[in-house]
Amino acid sequence: MRSLWQRLGGERLETASASLRPPTVGRSVRPEQVLRPVRPAFIWATLGGAFLLNLLPWGHAIWVPDFFALTLVFWNVHQPRKVGMGIAFVFGLLMDVHNGALFGEHALAYTLLSYGAISLHRRIQWFPAGSQSIYVMGLLLIAQLASAAVRLWVGGATPYWWLGLLSSALGAALWPFLTALLLSPQRRPAKRDDTRPL
Amino acid sequence: MEYGPPPLFNQGVSARARLAFFSLVAAALIIVDAQVNALDAIRNGVEILLFPVQRVLLWPRDLALDVGDYLSTLGSLNEENARLRLLAVEQAKLAQQAAQLQLENDQLRKLAGVRDRVNVPAQMVVALYESRDAFSRKIVIDRGRNDGMRAGFPVIDEAGVVGQVTRVFPLTSEVTLLTDKEQSLPVQIARNGLRAVAFGGQEPMTLELRFLPANADIENGDSVVTSGLDGIYPAGMPVATVLHVDRDVKDQFARVVLKPVAGMSRSRLLLVLLADPPPLVPAAEGARGGASGNVRGDRAAAKAVRR
Repeated sequence: MRSLWQRLGGERLETASASLRPPTVGRSVRPEQVLRPVRPAFIWATLGGAFLLNLLPWGHAIWVPDFFALTLVFWNVHQPRKVGMGIAFVFGLLMDVHNGALFGEHALAYTLLSYGAISLHRRIQWFPAGSQSIYVMGLLLIAQLASAAVRLWVGGATPYWWLGLLSSALGAALWPFLTALLLSPQRRPAKRDDTRPL
Repeated sequence: MEYGPPPLFNQGVSARARLAFFSLVAAALIIVDAQVNALDAIRNGVEILLFPVQRVLLWPRDLALDVGDYLSTLGSLNEENARLRLLAVEQAKLAQQAAQLQLENDQLRKLAGVRDRVNVPAQMVVALYESRDAFSRKIVIDRGRNDGMRAGFPVIDEAGVVGQVTRVFPLTSEVTLLTDKEQSLPVQIARNGLRAVAFGGQEPMTLELRFLPANADIENGDSVVTSGLDGIYPAGMPVATVLHVDRDVKDQFARVVLKPVAGMSRSRLLLVLLADPPPLVPAAEGARGGASGNVRGDRAAAKAVRR
């Protein structure tokens, strides 16, 4: 597959598929792998798993990244037609109840996050995973500041609340690993090849 | 499906319209939840759905703690045993004295014609987890409305006051810790009976006394106990010790920082005192008067009255 792609290298291959990244032309031509279609069950399993990770008793460790937000951004960027704002909103409500936060606080943050990710998804996919995480950090920060604004409006500031913004930075640092992990099922070859591990 | 063409014309509702819709719904929910308690039914429903999942997710941590306990060394166990034995002897002495003092006190109270102190029943609870929120200090306990919990009950641990039940679900409850900046309780200095109100402090894990004159008689190390004026917390329960006192000449009030004596986020076994809060006076004067023990701003006071 890869050699075929390189042979076609110079030509602009027009395709309608959403998951097929546009071929890079110019100075650095990165060979891109054509991904397999994603299974909806996998999307749901990862979203649910990330939500469960958030439910773990992290205590007052507010620097722990929001795993669900990160996974949500991932699927919004890679499968914007399958994972949208409705899912973000519903999971946000669940998160609110778990954290004893105001009803709708996380829902608002996740909706904004989802919108940002969906509207930027074509641009983000042009970059390698390392650079993508800068975009992701921006998105996470915007979502976090939105929910912080709600809290400041309702209850006033707590000292050191901004320490929570660390979780966005940590989340962005996790992005390349998350990308590698969540894309791995789609990177499998079509036919099972015994000489390759995956 | 994945390699099919994207729908060219039927794109559904645009992303911006969706954003507007969901944000408006979320904003409406936030406003309604901040102002009135109308959403508690939905919240309860969601909590019941989440409850089994939350409990299952606590297993790994509890298992780790149990294994840690099991593997604790003989030395530490011996040490703890010796300490506890010493404590038991000390407390036996106190308990004997207490029985005698209780008798004496009852007689004296009868002589003085003072109303008897009510003995509040209590319920042992386990702290499940601390909510992950940069803006508040809350823990969730494993008893809810079905076990007789109600908002307003005081929560203590073996050392002193921990906080107050502030929201009740059918199976769990939320306890707001004293260190939460929205929490407050009437206290007095044990040494001289000086009354004050303790609020959640500026620094994490501290309380502070507000509205005390700069020349108030307070020293570092003074112990602070509940004054019982709110009718919620029984009088005389340890709350905190004075960490330091700032007497700024420019300022009219002294800044007193306290360190709570209760384990706050560390202890897992807690005691909820099933003491009904006194009936609340209607919003107009009741909220400001601090009848509920939550002397706060206007909005928060209105909230306290609803509870």
